[in-house]
Amino acid sequence: MASRKKVMLKVIILGDSGVGKTSLMNQYVNKKFSGSYKATIGADFLTKEVLVDDRLIWDTAGQERFQSLGVAFYRGADCCVLVYDVNNSKSFEALDSWRDEFLIQASPRDPESFPFVVIGNKIDMEESKRMISSKRAMTFCQSKGNIPYFETSAKEAVNVEQAFEVIARSALAQEEAEEYGGDYTDPINIHDTTERDGCAC
Amino acid sequence: MTSSNVQFTPPPSPPSPTASFFDVSDEEEDEYNTIAHAAAKKGVRLLFSKSKVYVHPTPSAKDNIPGFIALVQQKPLPSSQNATSSSANASKPDLSSYLLAWVPESALGDAYDTYVKVDLSEDDSPPRQKYLVPALPETTTFKDPIGLYSFAVPLSQIYSLLVRPPSLGWWFGSLVINSRAGDSFPALFFHDSECQSTILQKRKRTRETFDPFDEDGSVFWGGDEVLRWLRKYVDVQRSTVDKTVYLINPSQEDQLSFGKPQLAESTRSQSPPAPRKREPAPHDAGMDPFMKAIKETRWKVLEQLSKITTFTRRTANEIADNPSIPPQVRRLIKTPEIQTLQEEFDSARIYLARWAMSISEQSERERNQRIWTARDALEMENSSVGDFEILDSEMGNMSLQERRKTVTLKEWQGFFHPHTGRLQLTVDEVKERIFHGGLDPNDGVRKEAWLFLLEVYPWDSTNDDRQALMNSRRDEYIRLKGAWWERMVEGDSTPEQQEWWKEQRNRIEKDVHRTDRTIPLFAGEDIPHPDPDSPFADVGTNVHLEQMKDMLLTYNEYNPDLGYVQGMSDLLAPIYAVMQDDAVAFWAFVSFMSRMERNFLRDQSGMRSQLLTLDHLVQLMDPQLYLHLQSADSTNFFFFFRMLLVWYKREFEWVDILRLWETLWTDYLTSNFHLFIALAILEKHRDVIMDHLKQFDEVLKYINELSNTMDLVPILTRAESLFHRFGRQVEAIDKKNNFPAPQAQQRKPAQSQGPDPNDKGKSPERPSGSSTSVSTPNASSSSRPGQGGKSDTKIIAPELRDLFRKDVFWNENDQSANPGSNSGSGS
Repeated sequence: MASRKKVMLKVIILGDSGVGKTSLMNQYVNKKFSGSYKATIGADFLTKEVLVDDRLIWDTAGQERFQSLGVAFYRGADCCVLVYDVNNSKSFEALDSWRDEFLIQASPRDPESFPFVVIGNKIDMEESKRMISSKRAMTFCQSKGNIPYFETSAKEAVNVEQAFEVIARSALAQEEAEEYGGDYTDPINIHDTTERDGCAC
Repeated sequence: MTSSNVQFTPPPSPPSPTASFFDVSDEEEDEYNTIAHAAAKKGVRLLFSKSKVYVHPTPSAKDNIPGFIALVQQKPLPSSQNATSSSANASKPDLSSYLLAWVPESALGDAYDTYVKVDLSEDDSPPRQKYLVPALPETTTFKDPIGLYSFAVPLSQIYSLLVRPPSLGWWFGSLVINSRAGDSFPALFFHDSECQSTILQKRKRTRETFDPFDEDGSVFWGGDEVLRWLRKYVDVQRSTVDKTVYLINPSQEDQLSFGKPQLAESTRSQSPPAPRKREPAPHDAGMDPFMKAIKETRWKVLEQLSKITTFTRRTANEIADNPSIPPQVRRLIKTPEIQTLQEEFDSARIYLARWAMSISEQSERERNQRIWTARDALEMENSSVGDFEILDSEMGNMSLQERRKTVTLKEWQGFFHPHTGRLQLTVDEVKERIFHGGLDPNDGVRKEAWLFLLEVYPWDSTNDDRQALMNSRRDEYIRLKGAWWERMVEGDSTPEQQEWWKEQRNRIEKDVHRTDRTIPLFAGEDIPHPDPDSPFADVGTNVHLEQMKDMLLTYNEYNPDLGYVQGMSDLLAPIYAVMQDDAVAFWAFVSFMSRMERNFLRDQSGMRSQLLTLDHLVQLMDPQLYLHLQSADSTNFFFFFRMLLVWYKREFEWVDILRLWETLWTDYLTSNFHLFIALAILEKHRDVIMDHLKQFDEVLKYINELSNTMDLVPILTRAESLFHRFGRQVEAIDKKNNFPAPQAQQRKPAQSQGPDPNDKGKSPERPSGSSTSVSTPNASSSSRPGQGGKSDTKIIAPELRDLFRKDVFWNENDQSANPGSNSGSGS
C-alpha cells in the first residue's frame, strides 16, 4: 500500500490463556468489559482509530498449541504486549517464553530494541489473591531492557488507556524506525519517559 | 422482512381532535407557513405521498424501516391559493417551500391516515382538498445516520437524485437524494409489492395500455411517481453521462459536465406519467443500486482523491480550484464531509464493499422467498422481473427445494424396522436426506440421529444392540471419570503429572466458563462453585457447566497424549446441548474427536495439511483468485484457521452450527466437505477480496469479521455445486491428460508425520511465486502441482484426489481402538 496516508500500527497481544488479552483489547477499543468472551483461537483483532494513527490490535490465542501460527500473524508487528494475570504466578513466569516466542516468530530486524510492554492485569481482584507483587514485575521488566510496565484492570478500566497510550507511542516509534531502515532513532528515550507514567501503581 | 404494518401502523382510529385538525382543509393557511408554527402544532400541506418506502439502515432486513416518501409544501404560494391543481402555472415557485421528505411510519402518529389518503388519491396532481400534516424538520445535510432517518429537503437544496429502478439483481428500486451541500441522504427503497398505490397504478396502466412497460421497455415503479411529482415544480434532467443521475434545476456548468439532457426531457409539467428510463437492463443485475450508484459516481471521484491525499492539503486545494476539473468534483472536494470521508477511504471502501455484498445477499434471499408466494400472486403478471426470476429459480434451486425439507423424528423413525429397529434404507439414502434437508431442530430427532452420524451406533445395529452398547458405554464413562477423580483426591502421581493435570484442569475450567454462555443451557450461574479457590468461585456456575468440565477432563484422561486443547469445548457444547446426557454426549464427542483430532495436534500438521488442500483447491477452481491471494501473501490460508479448527463454530449462529455439523457428519459427498464450505465462503467474497484486499492482514481481518454475518443455507448450496464443479474439472483434466491419474493417487496423505521429503519433485511447475508461501514449511506441502494457470500437463494433487473419498481416512490407525496412540506426535 504505497499510498497509505494513515499510519497503521500493528500491536500483538500475547500471554497465557485467560489472563485477559481479549478483555484488554476490548476495553481499550470499545470501552466495554464482558465477563463472557470466548476463548480466542487463532487470532482475532480489532482496530482502533486514534487521531493520528490507526491501531490494529491483534489478540492471539493463549494456548501454546497455537503458537506455530505466529509467523504469519506476528509479521510486521510494531509492538508486542505481554500480558499476565497478577493473581496467577504461572502466567507471570511464562512472560519470558512469550517474549522469546515472539522474537523467534516475528524476527524483527533489531530484536534488542523491539518495543515490548508488559501488563499485569486483573488488579481488581482482592489483594489476598495477588501472587505477583509490583516490585517483582518491575524488576523483571528492568532486567529485560526496561520494558514499560503497567498494572491494569480491564474489568474496571483501570490504567488501560494509559497503557495503550504508551504502547501506541512505542509502536509509532518502531514504525518510524522501520521506515528509516537501519537509521535508528533511539527507542530508549521513549522507554525512559514512559517508565515514570507506567509505574504509578 | 418485517411485516411492518402490524408493528407500526396505528389502528384506524376514529379521527381524534388532532387528526381532524390535520385532515380538514384549513382556512388558516397563513398560519402554517413557518417551521416555528409547525412546532406549535401547525401543519404543512401534503401534496404527494407514497407508502412502503423503506430505509435499510443495516444489511439485515430485520432493521428495515418502513415509511413514506412525500412532497410537502411548507408555505403556500400566493399564486396557488386558488389554483391548487396546476402548480405549473407558478412561473417562479419558491422552491425552498417545497420539501421532499421521508418519514418513518412509526413517527406519523395520527397523521398516518392522511398520508395513506394522499397516497391513494388517484389524481396526477395534488389533491384538491388540502391535507395538512405536522411539519417535518427541514434538513439540508444529513448528519445522523443512527437517528430516526426522517428528513425533509427543500427542493432548492436538492442537487441530484440517484435513481435505480428495480432490476433483476435488485428487487427494490431505490432513490438517493444528493444535496447541493454534497450530502447524500440514505437510500430509499421502494417496496412496490407492498405499496397499495403502486400496485393500483400498475394495474391501471396495464388495463389502459395492456402493457406494463413504457415505450422504452421499463417497468413502472414507485420512483417514477416521485420523478413525476418533482417535474411539476422543478426542472428534472437526466444525465446522459450517468443515466442514474437526475439533476434538479441544473446549472449551466452542471449540464455541460453531465452531458446535454436527453431530448426534450426538461419539460416541467404535464408530462404524462411515463417513466423515462431504459436502465434496468438484465446485465445490470447483481449489485444493489445504491451501492452501484456510489461505486460509479462518488467512489470514482474518491478514488481520484485518494491519490491526491499523498500531497499536501494545499495541493489538494489547488486541484480543487483547477478549472479543468469538473465542477461537481470541485464542489465535492470542498465539502468537509468529503474531506473526512476520503480520509476514511481505506476502511470505508472495504466496509462498503461488504455491506453491498450482504445487501445483495439479502435481496437474493428475499427474491427466493418471494418466488414461491409470488407465483400465484396477481401482480406478478405485471412484472417482467418475475418471469425471469421464476425461470432462474427453476434452473437453480427449485429441484432442490423438495430435498431440502428437514427430516423429522417421524420420518427418521420410519427409516427403521418397527420391531427390530434395524435400518431399512441404505445408509446412503439416509445420509442424502440429512445432507440436503438437515434434521428437525425441535422434535428431538437429533438426539437419535446424531449418534448414528457420529458412529456411536453402527448403522446396521438393532434396538437391542444399541441398548447393550449404550449400557456398556455408560459404565465405561463412569470408570474413566472415576480415574481422574481419584487422581484429584489422592494425588498419587508424579509431581510433573500432577502439575500437568492441574494445568489442564484450569484450562478447561477457564474455557468452559466462556463457551456458549449465551445459550440458555449454559447461561445460568445458579449454584456455588464447588471449588472455593477457583477464579470463578465468585460468579457461580451451573450444573451443565460442571458436566462440561467433567466430560472434558474425562476426555483429557481418555486421550492423554492429546489432552485438552482450546477449541474442544466449542466442539463439545452443541453435542452436549443436544444429548443432555453426559455419558452419551461424551461418547459422541469422542467419536467426533476421532475425526477432529488432526486439528489439535501439537505440530499443527493436520491443520496445515487441510490448509494445503484448500490451497490446491483454490488453485484449481479459481486460479485468478489464487494469484491475487498469492500477491497478497495470503496463500497460507491462515484466515481459515479458526473456521477449519472448530468447523465454523465461531462463524455461524448456534442453530446453524447444528445444521452444518450434521451435514458434514454425513460425509455424503466427501469426508472433507468442510473444505468446500471454505471454498464457498471464499468464492462468495472473491470480488471484494480481489478488488480491495491487498495484504495478508487485510484479508485476515476481513475474513475474521465475516463471523456471524453469513447465511448458512446458501453457502451449503454453493458448496455442493462447487463440489460437483470440482468433480467435472478433475474429470476434464484427467481426460485431457489421457491417462487416468498420477501414481501418487493412492498415497496416503501424510498424517501427523510432519515433513515428507519424498513429495518433492512431484511439482513440475509451481506457479512462479508460490515458493514465497511461508505457510507450509514443514508439512507435506512442497508438492504443489501447478494447476495455477498453465495449460500443459496439469496434475491433480493427491490431496485433491482425496477429496473424493468419503471415509475418514486420515485417522486410520488412530486412537479409536487404542486411545491416544498416535496423537501429539509432533511434540
